[in-house]
Amino acid sequence: MSDHLLNDLSLFAPETAITLTLVAAILADLIFRRTPLVVAALVLAGFVVTGLLLLGQTGVNASIFTGMIAVDSFAVFFKTIVVLAGILVVVFSMESGELNSPGRKLGEYYALLCAAALGMMLMAGASNLLMMYIAIELSSLSSYLLSGYTREAPDSSEASLKYLIYGAVSSGLMLYGISLMYGLSGSLDLRAINRALPQVLSGGGAASFTLLIAGVLALAGFGYKISAVPFHFWTPDVYEGAPITITAFLSVASKAGGFAMMIRFFKVTFIDAGAVALPAGTWATLQGFHWVDLVAILAVLSMTIGNLVAVWQNNLKRLLAYSSIAHAGYMLTGVVVLSNQGLAAIMVYFGVYLFMNLGAFYCVMLIADKTGSEDIDEYKGIGGRSPFLAVALAVFLVSLTGLPPTAGFIGKLYLFAALINSGWTWLAIVAALNSVIALYYYVRVFRNMFLRTEEPSSPGITLSWLQNAALVVLLVPTLLLGLYFTPLVQLAQASVRLFGTP
Amino acid sequence: MEIPLSYYLCLSVVLFVVGVAGVLTRRNAIVVFMCIELMLNSVNLTLIAFSSFLGSITGQALVFFAMAVAAAEAAVGLAIVIAIYRNKRTVDIDKINILKW
Amino acid sequence: MEIAGIGILSWITFLPVVGMVVVLMLPKEKKDWLRWTALVVAALQVVLGAFLFMRFDRSLAGINTESGMQFLEKFSWIDVRSVSWFGRLHIEYFLGIDGISVVMVLLTALISFIAVISSWNIEKSLKGYFALFLLLDTGMMGVFVSLDFFLFYVFWEVMLLPMYFLIGVWGGPRREYAAIKFFLYTLLGSVLMLLAMIALYFSVNVYIDPAGGLHSLAEAARGMGQGWEKIYTFNMLAMMDPGNFVPGSLLAGVDTSMRYLAYGALFIAFAIKVPIFPFHTWLPDAHVEAPTPISVILAGVLLKMGTYGLLRISFPIFPDAMRHFAWELALLGVISMVYGALVAMAQTDFKKLIAYSSVSHMGIVVLGMSSMNTQGLTGAVFQMFNHGTITAMLFLIVGVIYDRAHTRGLNEFGGLMNQMPRYAGAMTVAFFAALGLPGLSGFISEMFSLLGAFQTFQTLTIIGAVTIVLTAGYMLWVLQRVFLGPLPEKWKDLTDMNGRETFMLATLGIIVIFFGIYPAPILNLMNSSLNTLAALLQHGAPAAMTSGM
Repeated sequence: MSDHLLNDLSLFAPETAITLTLVAAILADLIFRRTPLVVAALVLAGFVVTGLLLLGQTGVNASIFTGMIAVDSFAVFFKTIVVLAGILVVVFSMESGELNSPGRKLGEYYALLCAAALGMMLMAGASNLLMMYIAIELSSLSSYLLSGYTREAPDSSEASLKYLIYGAVSSGLMLYGISLMYGLSGSLDLRAINRALPQVLSGGGAASFTLLIAGVLALAGFGYKISAVPFHFWTPDVYEGAPITITAFLSVASKAGGFAMMIRFFKVTFIDAGAVALPAGTWATLQGFHWVDLVAILAVLSMTIGNLVAVWQNNLKRLLAYSSIAHAGYMLTGVVVLSNQGLAAIMVYFGVYLFMNLGAFYCVMLIADKTGSEDIDEYKGIGGRSPFLAVALAVFLVSLTGLPPTAGFIGKLYLFAALINSGWTWLAIVAALNSVIALYYYVRVFRNMFLRTEEPSSPGITLSWLQNAALVVLLVPTLLLGLYFTPLVQLAQASVRLFGTP
Repeated sequence: MEIPLSYYLCLSVVLFVVGVAGVLTRRNAIVVFMCIELMLNSVNLTLIAFSSFLGSITGQALVFFAMAVAAAEAAVGLAIVIAIYRNKRTVDIDKINILKW
Repeated sequence: MEIAGIGILSWITFLPVVGMVVVLMLPKEKKDWLRWTALVVAALQVVLGAFLFMRFDRSLAGINTESGMQFLEKFSWIDVRSVSWFGRLHIEYFLGIDGISVVMVLLTALISFIAVISSWNIEKSLKGYFALFLLLDTGMMGVFVSLDFFLFYVFWEVMLLPMYFLIGVWGGPRREYAAIKFFLYTLLGSVLMLLAMIALYFSVNVYIDPAGGLHSLAEAARGMGQGWEKIYTFNMLAMMDPGNFVPGSLLAGVDTSMRYLAYGALFIAFAIKVPIFPFHTWLPDAHVEAPTPISVILAGVLLKMGTYGLLRISFPIFPDAMRHFAWELALLGVISMVYGALVAMAQTDFKKLIAYSSVSHMGIVVLGMSSMNTQGLTGAVFQMFNHGTITAMLFLIVGVIYDRAHTRGLNEFGGLMNQMPRYAGAMTVAFFAALGLPGLSGFISEMFSLLGAFQTFQTLTIIGAVTIVLTAGYMLWVLQRVFLGPLPEKWKDLTDMNGRETFMLATLGIIVIFFGIYPAPILNLMNSSLNTLAALLQHGAPAAMTSGM
């Protein structure tokens, strides 16, 4: 028993490391009140250690703590995304003028960042509904506070309140779904529910209808986490109001955790037959209801509404919020397929999305720190004043559009390939046309940066060596993965294995 | 005479719907939080009913976690409401509207 | 054929990227250095082009056989090993040219060279200009030499962003609108191409041997080698072999609705670029707003990428769909011809008139291609070359007058014949070539196209032939408005062309006259390729083509 527990604990090392970092950050904040950089460096080191511990887990395939958490290559992949995002966001935060204004204490900020990252890592691994709920709440509660961290700014606290209300309602809905699922199957463990499904489905119309309701309610919770339409209303407000570093973190890490959990939930509960063979196509049809069509519709709505509304935005942060809704839509198309190929496509997409999206937000932050504005109209002539920054932002936006030779193209290519190969041609066409709409609003940024002339008085933006280095660190993968993507694809393909599935 | 499971479930559905309706219609942020608590408590009721009906303990474990989380959520929520009140001198959701579209 | 271990096609494609890096490292105050760097790169491309021209084997056909392709370069680029549920992903860096592409490569090298010279008087952020220009050059060249669809697509898209900025930053008053319109139209086309490409990828199987060589299914049926693995492929030549299509896959079979759909998607992608009516509306805006050298590139090379794509990809991969829609294709060609000519006639803006005449002339290419016989195809490819040179001349001519008068209004000019005699000479050659005067190159290609098309679509060709009269009408009318009549007072001090402008126009003019009198050097290049292509379009794929794959 104790051997068992020790073994489980060793597999839990990355999460333990991030928890220790959290505690260390709080203590360090007490000692070094005057120098927030010490805490930042400590947290950075903690994230790096966590990342190294994750590297040691490649190829592990285990279930720990009596089935609460799965440690498999799928979870490790998404945890790595979260940790990488965490490392980059800590670096961003050290440089952010918005956060480092005089008189603000940043100790809690870094501690909460660790807590949010811990929650998202648990989301990636949770294989029990109880664990899923706690993981969601841990990441959400920390995110509420982080998005309101610059609390003297009215938009920041407003963002925080909206986030909290939407978050609490959708987690309430999800919890209700969980309770129904528990009542039907008598268990909270995903694989136990999967085993109980044939019995539930044979129980007649009422039981499978209830299961359907439970599934839809759970979908509301996931949809909120990944900000898919129609659970997206919080996204633009929170992204606009929160500090940019937190917006960047939420847009990548929170989404990664949400997607990992959603995929695991649907795949393990409804598809992987486990011990008992389910009739083929259970995922497709449950009580005459087409699950897949529902997810496909959510994907189409997310892409289309996200992109169309983004066209009207003038605040670049808000525009990127809508574009992130659209990207959630693209990634949801991979969930529609839900074959190994579809999952690998989502993972490849996340691998490139990490760099291009964080890069875009980083550029926005650097520009906003100097000009004090995120309004696209304020971007006029930046191309002439600070060419490197402007070109970097342009590359990230081109990559978000999905044009070769940038990494974003590879993500789209893999998703479209998965869709076409599984016969979802119409969805692929909708997704492809959506990237044309996306181009339209990204191009407005190029236009202001390069085509419009600058106002004569505005000074250039000079970057420190650390800022330049951070930009290069983000730029290199964004360009390189577009031209040589073998490693990323191989990693994604190797990571598709969910615990207990081939 | 034992009360059948469906009674509990119906009560919890009613509570849940009241909670959701309150969140959607109420304008005072504090009242909205109370409605969210109502939703969570209705879920707790469902879970306990199922747990006792199925003779399984896991549901009750989840209830404890849900209660703890709800308390944390209320704490965070009230802190945010106070921050908003300091900025804007109001807790009316309709007046908290700098960010839209 | 290698220089310093790198194949000649790689050199000609990536030299501009080398130039771009040099340009980016030069200080931006050294404007002459920037210009000369670009010029040296473009000149080297012309030298390499001349080398290709001399060493090109006229007897090899190419089109759908690897053995018929020349100057081959083939390396494994992306190779993701297979997992149990997903086959091996193998993408090749595969370059090669045949009779169709060599003409386009020569044209690209020539037009880029002319465009660099024409860029000499650009002053605004020159460093960015030449960096983007050279990147554009790589994209164009890459499209014409790549034989792997994935590689083709990457080059096709690489060209978009530089073009957007070249029009958007250095263009005329409505440049923002024109640039975004160009960008959106082309991207719309290319996402459709992307989908068709993926669908083709999942429909075509080949075998790969451990050394990385590809073998068609027919070849594998004759005997499998050691360690051969079945893979999907982006290789265009493999896609042209009907025997490689997986039975039951999305695009398998002949004349299926999915094949028509994929053909349609590719057609829209290429038709937007050509542009074929009704996808042409971006063209007048882009041309009018673009600076002169970019108009030259746009008309001289970019439009050819559309027709080249049809010839290289759509037709050989979907010969059944091509045959099925040949009449519709010819109809669109004729509509483009007549419509372009009629609208051109109504223009008073010099540049817009040339832009619409481009629509009309590219219509001839489309009509020639749809004929499916050697004459028509020869006419089409030769017309692509001639349109490139002639329209480049026309845009340079507009540029010359605009630089001096700062207006393009045709009705404001008059009597310039004596004021600018050299200019009048160059313009006369270009205009007569454009209207198809015998003795100039345009005549030969238009005749070939119409002769070829007449054998297949008689009525349509007769309607299309009316265009020649219309073209003659508006072209001569322009000459009359610009050169004859009284010279307005305000143009009394216009100077004639300087040495640089004369050099550009004389170079192109000599080419136009030379190929008008003696077209054989160009026609010989493409003859055997087009015979093969015509046979393939008329009879489906000959069985022998699979050998050598």
